[in-house]
Parts: sequence; C-alpha cells; structure tokens
Amino acid sequence: MEKKSSAKAKPSFEKALEELEKIAERLEDGSLGLEESIAEFERGTRLARYCREKLDEAERRIEILQKGENGSVEKRAVRVKPDTGEIDDDDDMQGSLL
Amino acid sequence: MNDNSIQQKVYTVAELTRSIKRTLEGRAEFNNLWVKGEIFNLTVHSSGHIYFSLRDNDAVISAVFFRHANRNLTFKLKEGMNILALGSITVYEKRGSYQINVSMVKQEGLGELQKRIEMLKQKLAAEGVFSPERKRPIPFLPRRLGIATSPTGAAVQDIIKVALRRYPTIEIIIAPAVVQGVDAPVSIARAIEELNRPEYRIDCIIAGRGGGSFEDLMPFNEEPVVRAVLASRVPVISAVGHQIDHPLSDDAADYAAPTPSAAAEIAVPVKSELVEEIEYLSIRASSALASRLSGLGERLDAIAALRCFRNPREIVAMRELSLVDLEQRMTMALKEGISAGRQRLLSLPDLYRLWKTEARSRRSRLELARGAVDKLSPKGVLRRGYSLVTDARGRVIKTVKTIKSGESIGVMVADGSMGCTVNTVQREVRGGKEIIGKG
Repeated sequence: MEKKSSAKAKPSFEKALEELEKIAERLEDGSLGLEESIAEFERGTRLARYCREKLDEAERRIEILQKGENGSVEKRAVRVKPDTGEIDDDDDMQGSLL
Repeated sequence: MNDNSIQQKVYTVAELTRSIKRTLEGRAEFNNLWVKGEIFNLTVHSSGHIYFSLRDNDAVISAVFFRHANRNLTFKLKEGMNILALGSITVYEKRGSYQINVSMVKQEGLGELQKRIEMLKQKLAAEGVFSPERKRPIPFLPRRLGIATSPTGAAVQDIIKVALRRYPTIEIIIAPAVVQGVDAPVSIARAIEELNRPEYRIDCIIAGRGGGSFEDLMPFNEEPVVRAVLASRVPVISAVGHQIDHPLSDDAADYAAPTPSAAAEIAVPVKSELVEEIEYLSIRASSALASRLSGLGERLDAIAALRCFRNPREIVAMRELSLVDLEQRMTMALKEGISAGRQRLLSLPDLYRLWKTEARSRRSRLELARGAVDKLSPKGVLRRGYSLVTDARGRVIKTVKTIKSGESIGVMVADGSMGCTVNTVQREVRGGKEIIGKG
C-alpha cells in the first residue's frame, strides 16, 4: 500500500493547486451530476489537504556548505536574523568551496 | 684559467644594475608609455602606495603607483581590472627588478572585455545553449533553495531576508563562493555544481551577486560560470545586480532576475497567499457543492410541494373527481339519450292515435265477433226456446242414464231457472221409448 502510493507520482504543489481550482470551477458551473459533484468535491478536499501538508512540510533550516577536514563538503546549520537576512555565525564565513 | 686571463671588464652587481637602469630608464620609448593589462596581486599599502602587476596572456610586469600619483584616481583599482597605465620603466636596484612607475591609470576601454564576452556569447549561441526551449520552469514551491554566492555579501542577506519574509519555513543551503577576482569564475561554478548534489534535494538554485561595476560582474560572463549554469540539473536563477548589460549567466540560466532580491521573489512563493488560495478554493468548492445541493433540494421541495405529494388523498380525490366527471358525463349522455328517446317517443302521437284507431276498430270487430259468439252461446239457444238442465251439482245433464226419479235437477231457460224433481225417466231407444224408472 505504502509502496503503491509512493510509486504513484504525487502531483507537485502547483499541479494540485491547479486541479483544485479546476474542481472549484467545475462545481460552480453546475454541469456535473450530483454523484459526480460529490466525487469531485471529495477529490478537491483531498487535494486541499495535500496542499496544506505540502506547505507545512518544510521547517526553516539554513545551512552552509563547508570544506571538511578530509576535504569533503559538509553542511553546517547557521542562524540568521530574519529581518536582515544576516547570517549570525561565529565561524569564518570568508571561505568558499575552493 | 686564472684571473689574468680575464680581459673583459668585471662589473660589480651594483655597477651592472646601474648600467641596466641607465639603459632602460634612458630610453625615450620607455618614458611616458602606455601599457594595457589586467591587474593582479593588487596591494594597497598603508602608506597609500599601490603595488600590483599587470598581465596579459603571455607576460607580467610589476607596477608601482605611488600615493602622490594615485590620489587623483577617479575609480578604485580592483583585482582583475583591465587598465591602461601611463608610466615609465624604472629599475629598483635593491631587488634587481624593473617595473613601471605609473603616473596615471585609465580603465581600459570596455571594448576589449565586451569583445571577449561577445565572442563567448556567439560561441555558446552556436552550440544552441541559449535557446528558449532549454529553459526549465522554476518550481512553484521549492522544497529547498540553494544559493551560490558570497556568504558575506549583501546578496545572500537580501535573498535570505526576502525568502524568509515570503516563506518563513523555507529551507536554504548556501554554497559559499568568491564572486570577484580571478578565482571567482571557478569558485562560482564549483558552488553551483555542489548544490546539484542529489542528497541536498535542492529544487532551485540562485547564483549571483549584488550590483557592481562592469568588472565586478565579469565573473558571471566567464565560461566556467556559464557552463556550470548550463550543466545544472537543478533550475538556476541568475541573480546578478545590474543596470544595463546583463551577464552571460542570465542567458544561460532558466530565469534571469535583475537583482538577488528579485530572484528570491521568483524562487519562493508567499506562503500566506498559498494558504489563502487553498482556503479560498476549498470554500469555493464546498459552497458550489452546497448551492448545487440546495438547488437540487429546492427542486425536490418544489416537486414535493405539488399538491399530489403534499396530500396523497388528493390523487384519490382527483380520481374520484374524474370518476364523478365520468359519471356525470355518462348521466348526461344517458339523460340525453333518454330525452332523445323521449323526444322520439313524443314524436309518436300519430302512432298512438293510429294505435287507438286500430284498437277501436279491433273492438268493433270484437263486438261483431262477440255478437256472433253470443248467438252460439247457450243463452242465445235458450232465448230461442231451448232449456239447459243441470244436475244437483250444476253439471249439464246430457243423458238420462245418470238421472234417477225423484232427483232434484235444475232447469235453466233464457230468463231464469227452476228447481224441479224428476218424476219419471225414459230413455229413448231406437223405435220407441224405454221407461227406466218411476219416481
């Protein structure tokens, strides 16, 4: 079941939102039969939930890539000041990946 | 060999160097000459003197730009900058080096650089890498945003600020790069490559830097950067602050933003608007369904409100009504039939009269017949003088055989009857009478 749902490509947020919009339009123009209307509405409800989930998926995390000791590149989380976007970090930020 | 064998003059280092110095500095063509080259190893000393080298593809020359000469400079010398320098060749004896003592610097006509950019642009265009079909859409909602720029510049701050304002829970990975100087092109290219690593799950990369002079933006015109942008698996937004000429990275990128802030706006949607949009669409869908249902409900109500459904007995009543109607029609028809019949009947008086006449005539015939019958009746016979004799029980006596003497008999004549007693009985035989009894 899990495998099946993951194999089925989930729509992108944008696609889901577009589809939701189309459903709203179809429901509004009233051309659908009652059973169809209810089925469409249920699909719309699922899409809206999916979209909301997508929006809440990410959690603010700002990371910076750094050369590690063995030459590999590592990620390191940094704090930022949201109002200025300034990276509030003690380590030397001058370095590049070179 | 010994020292005596040396016939030629032997210089001291100082003598030789002085000789070189005289030779070089004395040549007119080495005085106040113009030389063009790219600045590198630029050092601005605390004394105010500027030291650098000028180079081109094949050679290098040191330069010194003393404070008294450089204080009228109208722009800041930068690493990698192409300049025209006016100066004279001097020899610095203590280091045995020669350099150009610069008295004036002009930015090299940008023509050279532009020519180089143009050539690269044409080369890349010939490869078809700038064709619009190659441009990929920027994802509407990136899971993670990658930034390839200087971690200390204004650009990264602008991008982070705008991105967080629009989407407070966005995830960002910064790949630090040197964005100016000779190392910049490779550094920027590396950063873009790094952000493409699949494990970072980045959906969109912003590569750029804040605004600057033409030379500042030059790395984004260099082939390594342009190639890295073209090779990127992840869509790239070029974000180089510029006013007039856009860098080649803009042509190569999937989207060209005029500034880093603008790039962040393209890359990151406004979360609150998305939430609103979803709510709005959900409400539209549910209210559309609700109105559809209530519309259907109204139709249902309207149908249910029909009299027949409101009061099922009315169906019966209606049937009754039609029954009554039918009856009435039947009655009417019947009545009409009767009246028509009556009419026909009433139209029969002639028949009646006919019948009366007939009856009368029949009666008269009857009376005639009765007259005839009367003549045949015993009474008529009696009137003609005959009598009718009956026994005691009223039976007509047709023979003397049953009559005995002394028996009471009745005799009926035309106008009455008489009671008699039989005295004698005589039976008539052929030829005479036989006396049967004597009373």
